[in-house]
Amino acid sequence: MKEFNYTITDEIGIHARPAGMLAKKAKAFESSVTIAKGEKEAALTKLMAVMALGVKHGDTVTVKAEGADEEAAIAEIKKFFEENL
Amino acid sequence: MKDKIFGVLQRVGRSFMLPIALLPVAGLLLGIGSSFTNPTTIETYHLGKVIYEGGVLYTVLDIMSKTGSAVFDNLALLFAMGVAIGMAKKEKEVAALSGAISYLVMNTAISVMIDAKGGVEAMAANSTTQVLGITTLQMGVFGGIIVGLGVAALHNRFYKVELPQVLSFFGGTRFVPIVCTVAYLLVGIGMFFIWPVVQLGISKLGALVLSSGYAGTWIYGILERALIPFGLHHVFYMPFWQTELGGSMVIDGNTVTGAQNIFFAELASKSTDVFSVSATRFMSGKFPFMIFGLPAAALAMYRAARPEKKKVVGSLLLSAALTSMITGITEPLEFTFLFVAPAMYAVHCVLAGLSYMLMHILNVGVGMTFSGGAIDLTLFGILQGNAKTHWIWIVVVGLIYAVVYYFVFYFMITKLNLMTPGREADDVEPKLYRRADMQDKKQGAGAVAAKAEDIVSALILTGLGGKTNISDLDCCATRLRVTVADSDKVDDKALKESGASGVIHKGSGVQVIYGPKVSVIKSNLEDFLDTPYSDHPEELLGGADNTADNSEKQAERSENAQNASAETEIIGAHMNGKAIKLSEVEDDVFSQEILGKGAAIEPSEGKLYAPCGGKIDSVFDTKHAVNMVSAGGAEVLMHVGIDTVKLGGKYFEAHVSDGQEVKKGDLLLTFDIEQIKAAGYKVTTPMMICNTDDYAAVEQLKEGETAAGENIIKITK
Repeated sequence: MKEFNYTITDEIGIHARPAGMLAKKAKAFESSVTIAKGEKEAALTKLMAVMALGVKHGDTVTVKAEGADEEAAIAEIKKFFEENL
Repeated sequence: MKDKIFGVLQRVGRSFMLPIALLPVAGLLLGIGSSFTNPTTIETYHLGKVIYEGGVLYTVLDIMSKTGSAVFDNLALLFAMGVAIGMAKKEKEVAALSGAISYLVMNTAISVMIDAKGGVEAMAANSTTQVLGITTLQMGVFGGIIVGLGVAALHNRFYKVELPQVLSFFGGTRFVPIVCTVAYLLVGIGMFFIWPVVQLGISKLGALVLSSGYAGTWIYGILERALIPFGLHHVFYMPFWQTELGGSMVIDGNTVTGAQNIFFAELASKSTDVFSVSATRFMSGKFPFMIFGLPAAALAMYRAARPEKKKVVGSLLLSAALTSMITGITEPLEFTFLFVAPAMYAVHCVLAGLSYMLMHILNVGVGMTFSGGAIDLTLFGILQGNAKTHWIWIVVVGLIYAVVYYFVFYFMITKLNLMTPGREADDVEPKLYRRADMQDKKQGAGAVAAKAEDIVSALILTGLGGKTNISDLDCCATRLRVTVADSDKVDDKALKESGASGVIHKGSGVQVIYGPKVSVIKSNLEDFLDTPYSDHPEELLGGADNTADNSEKQAERSENAQNASAETEIIGAHMNGKAIKLSEVEDDVFSQEILGKGAAIEPSEGKLYAPCGGKIDSVFDTKHAVNMVSAGGAEVLMHVGIDTVKLGGKYFEAHVSDGQEVKKGDLLLTFDIEQIKAAGYKVTTPMMICNTDDYAAVEQLKEGETAAGENIIKITK
């Protein structure tokens, strides 16, 4: 299993648009990818659950990937966070 | 659950407005009438020459006083009926009748129980009263409110009940007064045992007050206010005013007991230098908050009302504030916020208590006939002279109270977003409310299959030539009596198909004979007329051609029923406006279906409605989008506008919260289209099925002009 932590710098946080983009990225991989904020965790492909986390500016999230292509998945998603969030 | 209780309280509060609107007038009549027919007043001001018993002026004032008190004496009955009317969903006149009869039944049951125990003498002092000539327990408006609420609940449960054929005459609305009578007979018996226990507790509190000085006066004030909604304040303060509990004193050689009696004895006595504060401490405290505090609170409520509502709310608040100021009758004002904002009432009680205490500390000795308005202040304070009464402190404290009340109320209303008059969410349009109601019971909640009675209603409506052809609708014992615009449009065949045993035409009048169950059919038809389906009843019947062969129609109907089975789910339109394809939305994240498949609407008004029954998953902090899960499990995201997240919640208002259950057609969000557009954002509102991957197909059913609730998306497993 691979994981990384990321603190959101985007003003608005993870609202509908980034949640959709993230889900799209996550679906491209075989690995199961999750995102957690504090105690709450959601599969990154589950749009509504991701939006319900209510991730805002300054929140730290943990993204985990587990599966055959976990390394690639983490790299790709991390890149998305750094560029967009 | 909390939201639900709050919602109910709001409706209760609103249902009070009808009887409350009467109170200012009644208050003025009573206040003016009783002040100037009070023997003490007449004697003190030597008005005996002008106002004397049997004289014209006295009689007029007496009529004012008595008619005013007729309203107050029967306030409980007004509430029993008013609350029942306000809380009943339909057929409100039946609820009113049931409320009245239930109130009589309950009190009569109590009365008989009192007789059985040995009459009024056997009951605790001050615990009984006369209501409409019935000797009963002193329950105040509380008695009326429990009747109103209970009756409305029974009414909403039973007004469409269908009884077995032999008894069917007693079904529907006719069943409501019957069931209410039985229920309140039992409630009356129960109250006879429960209520005295409550009353006993109150009088125990009285003893506590006496033994604790200034603090005791404060507690007295708080309790006196806090008990008003329950009508228990009389039980509580009367002993202080009229019995030894309020002290006893020797005045001009006579022993006088009770605070009010002491005051009036001192008023009548020529040897009084200063009024005894030990007596007036149970009265003077009313003046500052009744003349100054509450009117300022009314101003705060007016200022906090929405601009478009100010005019309507202003007249209510102004008259209520004047009533409080002039006569000291505060119920009209207090009841406007008591139920919608109990926290504010609590604050009011504490401040009122403090007012009593301050008057006690400042040695203010102003008494009253029955309450603390400007009339009594003038008569028993100002005209007696400051040396005797120290009335000037009332004005000083009062002015401070006005400021305190204004700011405390304004702050609470705006910070806690309390729904005081003029701030409530717009009444959900009856149309939408009832449609939602109707769909409540449907199996999938979001599914579109109509209930059997709606099919019947649709058939009747088709048979009568459609909604626009009906000018009047009523029923007698067995027939639906309808006046139609064009009798040629009436289709007997369709009517008979709906279950009618015969149809009689008389000019523009049509009588459709159904038998005793007609009152239920009529209620259902009226419900149906309030739904959007009633514009095109033939659609519900499965074909536009209402003369089509019956068997064909039925075949189509059963097909429709299958469409709405577990395999598919229909989602309704989320707003009024023009429906477009998701791919036409000018934003990739939507048009490329990244958030799922669905449909979008260019709204024509700033309202977002629940497209199906289900549960709110989350409302975005920025209030521009709502996630909900339908009863069938579809995850529905509605996103108002493009990039509107950047508005940070401005111009949006949410009417639901996370985890709340909603019905199709419930109002979710309101937003200001013009302001959002002016800020440079599009209001196009896509609705997506976030878990599109879980389904075999998500199809858009409708494009172009669309009304909220119309079928727009079909989901297939």
